[in-house]
Amino acid sequence: MKLYPMNTEPIWKSWFARHGAKLLLFARQQSRRPDEAEDLLQEAFVRIWRLYGHTGEVSPGLVYRAIRRLAIDWARSIDRRQARENKVALDAPLSFSFDRTLEQDERKQALLRAVERLPAQQKEVVTLKIWGELTFDEIARTLDESLNTVASRYRYALQKLKDWVPEEMEGKKEDSSAKS
Amino acid sequence: MNEFEKLEAELKGLQPAAPSEQFISRLEDALGDAGNVAMRCMPDKEEGGAHPSKTTSSPIISFPRLVAFSGLAGLGLAAVWAMVFYLSSSLAPAGTEDLVSDLAPEESQALAEESSLAQVEDPESPLHGLSLEEIQDVSVMPVSGWLDPQMNERFLRVVDEGIFERPGGLPARRVRHFFMDETLWSNPASDTRILSTTPREEVILIELDTY
Repeated sequence: MKLYPMNTEPIWKSWFARHGAKLLLFARQQSRRPDEAEDLLQEAFVRIWRLYGHTGEVSPGLVYRAIRRLAIDWARSIDRRQARENKVALDAPLSFSFDRTLEQDERKQALLRAVERLPAQQKEVVTLKIWGELTFDEIARTLDESLNTVASRYRYALQKLKDWVPEEMEGKKEDSSAKS
Repeated sequence: MNEFEKLEAELKGLQPAAPSEQFISRLEDALGDAGNVAMRCMPDKEEGGAHPSKTTSSPIISFPRLVAFSGLAGLGLAAVWAMVFYLSSSLAPAGTEDLVSDLAPEESQALAEESSLAQVEDPESPLHGLSLEEIQDVSVMPVSGWLDPQMNERFLRVVDEGIFERPGGLPARRVRHFFMDETLWSNPASDTRILSTTPREEVILIELDTY
């Protein structure tokens, strides 16, 4: 814990309080292993803040982009390492990335399970749009895709979620009745 | 209404879990000095104690601003110090200190108030805190009665610096002229003249044809 002059605080702390949770969620989706999401976010954030932090405000889009590019770089090295060690990466459930209080709400749980079922490309667009609060233009730049591609993926994803959430809720009910 | 609006609202209602304190602390260490370059002023605790993340409109102190502010503050302090020193050494009549020390406390206080009142701003004066009369006393020169200044350009010499290659690659001859600019202020009433001289150089490039 560092001490700062009275009534002052490093600006990155309030910046991170606003954007940290969303960035971590995106990092969890981009990383191959659940335990490397924090490392990924740390590396991306520190790189960007060292470059632009002196301005006092940094566009979150820059950090999202850095996370994605680092994730690609790291995935290549992990692939090589895994080929040597013959290990398989494990995915953590999406609900781990959200507030635990959601566990009480069946509808929200069904929603998360439906999001989890989405193809990775649609899931990342939904994450950036809904929780990252980026525009389609920013998402397109973050993912190096065209604006139309990104917008279509988002629309397909929402359509799937709309269809799948009732299914998920039904499935849950059947599970619980089978258990009882 | 958009068919997905309700679904989007539901999704937005799900809050991603915040990073742990341990991770924030790790981030702080990783940032090192880069994290302390831009600082934010926090409101006093008595004024509400809001969470830092919600004080987005509080003023930002970035490193360049901090340098500029401290530079200006230093300059201001130096100017005040110089003015006080100048006034105490030049304007105070000889023996004032002795006089003040000999006076009763009430009289010395009245004298101090009177001297502070003497620094009332004079709108005609070009110097803050000094009236025209005070400037006249200090400079031992009249304030009024000056004629319009006479300006004169005195040519000194010319030097041909030869041929050189310009950035575009074309050759040119460079000729340097030396001047002395003179400004003369005169006050016939007091038979006072002030002459200011400033050296100046002019460089002329003469294009050369290439064959």
